[in-house]
Amino acid sequence: MKFSILLRKELKEMLSVTTIATMFLMVFILIFAGKAMSKAVDDVKKDATTITICDKDKTDFTKMMLDVMEKMDEMEVKRVEVNSDDYAKELKDSDYKNVVIIPKGFTEQVEKHEIAKVIFAQRMSSIATFSNISTGSKVALEMLQKGIKSTIYAKSSLNEATIKQLEDPIKLEEFTVVSDKQDQVASSTVSSIMQSQAMLIPIIMFLLIMYSSQMIMGAISTEKLDKTLETLLSAPVSRLSVISAKMLSAAIVAALQAAVYMFGMNKMMEGITGGMTDDKNTEEILKNLGLTMSVGDYLLVGAQMFMTILIVLSISIILGALAKDAKSAQTLQLPIMLLAMVPYFVTMFIDVKTASPVIKYVTMAIPFTHSFIANQNVMFGDYTTYFIGLAYQFVLLCVCMFLALRIFMSDRIFTLTLGGGKKKKGGLFGKKQTSYEDE
Amino acid sequence: MEVVLDVKGLSKQYKKGVYASENVTFQVNKGEIFALIGPNGAGKTTTIRMISTLLKATEGDAVVDGHSIITEPEKVRECITYLPDEAGAYKTMKGVEYLRFMAGIYAKSKSDIEEFVKRGSEISELGDRLNDKISNYSRGMQRRLLLARAIMSKPALAILDEPTSGLDIINALEIRRMIKKLAAEGMSFLLSSHNMLEIEYVSDRVGIISKGHLLEVGSAPELVEKYGVKNLEEVFEKVVTVR
Repeated sequence: MKFSILLRKELKEMLSVTTIATMFLMVFILIFAGKAMSKAVDDVKKDATTITICDKDKTDFTKMMLDVMEKMDEMEVKRVEVNSDDYAKELKDSDYKNVVIIPKGFTEQVEKHEIAKVIFAQRMSSIATFSNISTGSKVALEMLQKGIKSTIYAKSSLNEATIKQLEDPIKLEEFTVVSDKQDQVASSTVSSIMQSQAMLIPIIMFLLIMYSSQMIMGAISTEKLDKTLETLLSAPVSRLSVISAKMLSAAIVAALQAAVYMFGMNKMMEGITGGMTDDKNTEEILKNLGLTMSVGDYLLVGAQMFMTILIVLSISIILGALAKDAKSAQTLQLPIMLLAMVPYFVTMFIDVKTASPVIKYVTMAIPFTHSFIANQNVMFGDYTTYFIGLAYQFVLLCVCMFLALRIFMSDRIFTLTLGGGKKKKGGLFGKKQTSYEDE
Repeated sequence: MEVVLDVKGLSKQYKKGVYASENVTFQVNKGEIFALIGPNGAGKTTTIRMISTLLKATEGDAVVDGHSIITEPEKVRECITYLPDEAGAYKTMKGVEYLRFMAGIYAKSKSDIEEFVKRGSEISELGDRLNDKISNYSRGMQRRLLLARAIMSKPALAILDEPTSGLDIINALEIRRMIKKLAAEGMSFLLSSHNMLEIEYVSDRVGIISKGHLLEVGSAPELVEKYGVKNLEEVFEKVVTVR
């Protein structure tokens, strides 16, 4: 009964109106961002399939070449006029982002079998990723080359079959193999699907770590500084109930927040990734390659996530007990933030397991890393790494929990502070402490 | 006379040779107001925290209502309430919610909870303001609420550390009157304060503590007569200077 009273009180404190309002606002912002990105993706798609060309040569050959390009159905060819060589002014005055200019003398160069020159000008108006995606110079060049070839072939006496062969001499059939499974799909496509989906896990993990740590540290340090902890611990309730109620409520609220943010992030990602794979169903590709997760796999990933939360909560109890004022309580969260940021960034950019030994072992020594890579381990069937990570996390959890409980169950919860005490000798284990009040 | 608190040679050593409180011995009888007086850093709070089972005693023992703080701390916590110096309450709660939460911790049945909350509401004299968030309370209102919390469960021993510190004269007077009234009804109090005049007015007996040692115990008039001075402040000065 007393535990439920404590748990209700902790949940009510941690799940305040402000916290709930912030969660809803965040989800609203993420959905809005998703819609904005979805529109940006559509615009990018449109831009990427349009080629803007200015024909200054205006010969029968270039006209024919542009007609052939228009008939290719690969791109929308937009013919424009550029009157000067001041591309900055020309692009600024127009609404297009880039232009391919076929200069005077182009046909002559082609007919003389010389390397023909074309000009490509691109306008950059921002460093935002989506704002600069458009038909690049490489695509423009490929299109023109195709156009030139087709025009030359059409003028030649080659038969249709030969022309077709010259235009498309090779057809690439690409396969991707994962463990013992394969599918006819480009590895770059699989990689892009996986990246867009795997992006969510580190973000959720990072949010979970930060929220649960912030909540338990706030709960401990506020109670200690307001002396409500003294009131509570002198009441007929066990210290274990007090600390368990705090830890459980922090875990519940952190999980709830993660779920809400995951929903919001998912909505946002749908906006970005929607329609990226056109020719084959995403789910089917992942299923054929064994890259989907079963219920058991989800449980394994969840178990490692829960282990990380428990470690975070234990460390946060120790740090919260060290706080001597509200400001130091915030500063003391820094070590946890750094420990979460390392695996967050490292796992985002490299494969930790194949990284250099220094990076690999340093990153793997951080207990949170194993939860960041849990889904990869499970999906690719690397259960050895998964279970070694889980065992390592369990050992660390026992150590952290032992230290946290040792502090909470002893005098140290009242006497320990960091940086504000009278004496600095001794540590958490010895009889000496960092400081004490001796009224 | 029935002894509610029996402190026997209680000591707290933080590091070798440094005692925050050493060999402290005194008793508190039923319905008595006993005050520990001394300057800041004298060892009052450490002694009180040991009796409240918050800190573990290095040596000695204290028996509260028949239960040892060393061997039966859980039983001791059922007999006492503790109001720390400058304590706060949960700011997100309303006054009545705080009383209900603490009542839930002390109560043995649901009917106890209602009874404690009713008594706490009456003692606090906060009326409709009990439905306001504690964050909107003045310091005096918050202290009254905390005192009501400490008393509503009718503990055998209420331990109040600097009960009137930081309060204005009117609020301090009200709290002193309340303590005297409840003591007359049979509740025992262990107070701590460095305000000698307040203690002289409110307490039945005082213990003078300095540098961790309990130097003198007796009623204020007895001590004033013994040292041939005018008030408790002068007694304290003499006791501390002589020792």
